[in-house]
Amino acid sequence: MNLLWEMLLPKTKLKNQFALISALSKVLLIVLSIFVIPWLVRIVSIRETDDQLIEKLDQIYNLIEIKGIENFIDEEDNNQGFGSYNILKEEYISIEKASDSLLVEFIDYQQREIDGEIYEYRVISATFSINDQVYLLEIGKSIDTIVSLENKLQRFAFYFLLILLGISTFIDLSVVQILLKPFGKIIERLKNSNHPKQFDYNIIPSQTSDFIYLQNSISDLMHQIESAFETEREFIGNASHELLTPISIIRTKLDNFAAIDQLNEAQTQKLFEVKTTLSRLTKMVRSLLLLSRIENREYLKNESIDLIKLITAVKIEFEDRADLKQQSIQCIHPNENFTITGNTELLQILFGNLLSNAIKYTPEKGAISISIEKNLSQFLIQIQDNGPGIDPADLPHIFDRFKRFGVHKESFGIGLALVKQIADYHDFKIKINSKLQEGTAFLLLVSNQQ
Amino acid sequence: MRILLVEDEKNLGSEIIQFLEKERFHCDWAQNSKRATELLINNPYDFVLLDIGLPDGNGLDLIKEARTIGSEAYFFVITAKGELRDKLLGFELGADDYLAKPFSLLELNSRLQAIIRRKFGHKSDEIKFGSFTLDTAKKQFFFKQELIILTKKEYDLLRYLVLNKNRVLDRLQLTEHIWGDFFEDDFDSNYIDVHIKNIRKKMAKFDETKWIRTLRGIGYEFIMGDVTT
Repeated sequence: MNLLWEMLLPKTKLKNQFALISALSKVLLIVLSIFVIPWLVRIVSIRETDDQLIEKLDQIYNLIEIKGIENFIDEEDNNQGFGSYNILKEEYISIEKASDSLLVEFIDYQQREIDGEIYEYRVISATFSINDQVYLLEIGKSIDTIVSLENKLQRFAFYFLLILLGISTFIDLSVVQILLKPFGKIIERLKNSNHPKQFDYNIIPSQTSDFIYLQNSISDLMHQIESAFETEREFIGNASHELLTPISIIRTKLDNFAAIDQLNEAQTQKLFEVKTTLSRLTKMVRSLLLLSRIENREYLKNESIDLIKLITAVKIEFEDRADLKQQSIQCIHPNENFTITGNTELLQILFGNLLSNAIKYTPEKGAISISIEKNLSQFLIQIQDNGPGIDPADLPHIFDRFKRFGVHKESFGIGLALVKQIADYHDFKIKINSKLQEGTAFLLLVSNQQ
Repeated sequence: MRILLVEDEKNLGSEIIQFLEKERFHCDWAQNSKRATELLINNPYDFVLLDIGLPDGNGLDLIKEARTIGSEAYFFVITAKGELRDKLLGFELGADDYLAKPFSLLELNSRLQAIIRRKFGHKSDEIKFGSFTLDTAKKQFFFKQELIILTKKEYDLLRYLVLNKNRVLDRLQLTEHIWGDFFEDDFDSNYIDVHIKNIRKKMAKFDETKWIRTLRGIGYEFIMGDVTT
């Protein structure tokens, strides 16, 4: 059964599926009617005809009883019978003497030749006996008459059917529209609920208790998610904030300790190792704090930023580093206005991380290019390198926190997570095109607000 | 130079004081804003190092108070909140500079020196060693009258080494100084080595003196008996 539905129904909205089912059932109904209605009409019209024939038979019996058989048939003449046709030969009545004495009464189809033409009749044949003489009475009704009745009935039935179908389709569609409207809204809202901060807990009114239940369940789940999210967020925020104080103390103590003149080389080396480790810890904590601040939406995004200016400044920051690896960094852009609103500090981090990443992963003498373009509604910023590329298996996890790839084990994998977070925060779309041995391109799509 | 440190964390405060006194600053230390206000009213400080997370109120209010009583001190705001909103708020309220926790004491010193040089005019813009001159106003480097072209990073690195003369600066501190927080998650000291190599090469053209000493695997030290500033 389920399989049948799956075959019949495409994966689409419930509303469309309802409409489809309703349409299918109506088609089925029409097809069925085309076959069934003529058959039904035939049965009905035959039965109606037969009833009329039987009624007429009774009327003629009455007439014979009242007027006597002599009025119809001459007793003496054995071959003479009574016959009456109406002018259009739609009906005929005949009485004649029967040769055998078997009493019968039946209805069937018979052919009659009248004036050289053959007509089809529905005929009731009945025998009766008066004074030991058996007579055969036949009343016939022409098939043409029956067929014309049938046609009338059929036409009427079809019109009626059409009207019914029309009404039913209208009701189906409008009911589905009205009943499913809240459902559509629920779905729409779920689609927009990407972040616990955007959750909307208002219940959409509906006459359908299922929808109310569904909304309550979703709402409960969203509350749970939000509270889990809040807890995690607060924890990360507080923990990283609190961690900074002890880190500061260790840091200043180490700075003072390093200032002691009598330290020998081995001690200085150890001290340096401690500081290196502390520095890693510091960066980790700061990054987490930064991530949680962005999640908290604590950064204002109202600065007017000239993208070219910002990217060029970041590029200059990194030029020395690329020089040291004999890499070239090219920045290609048309001489146009690329102004967006956002947060300068965050965007510096975003482009800095992308560029630093490119420099890090691109081998010596590699080429890095930054291109800034615009189409009708978007700015496209692409940072491309000709490094080793990213393993397709790693691509889905490239923006995860604390994931490390390839040879750079000394990093703790938060740089790209930050990139993604900042891009999301600014409603930038970010895409990666990467081919092994050929290079990686990070593409940022920024909607042009002007 | 008189400095007021406003810091409630005793362990941190004592280290900062120890360092600053060694650098020949005259220091007072307040552990809450009430004490800080008292000290500010009675003493003309040149610098205030202010941790805004104080037990008795927001440290930023202290800046307002200080300005109303006519203090002309240069306010450094120390905070764990490395965030622009606080930063802007801090500047609007009259804070002059900003240090994100945890900060390096050497970095603090280098900024203090720069301000002393720039704002108070107590020192000249030029730092001389041998026949070399670092012009900190124009950010240029000379041998006698001849300009030596340094990249921005090379200049920053050399200035930082010179300011912290006769002190070992490890590669981490140097990286931090010239890169700031670009939120990089790994540390490649190789860059520093190459920069130092380039600086040495440029200086060696003019002078045989080994100004910069290498501590293998650790960092560098600028050796100078008497830096005239």
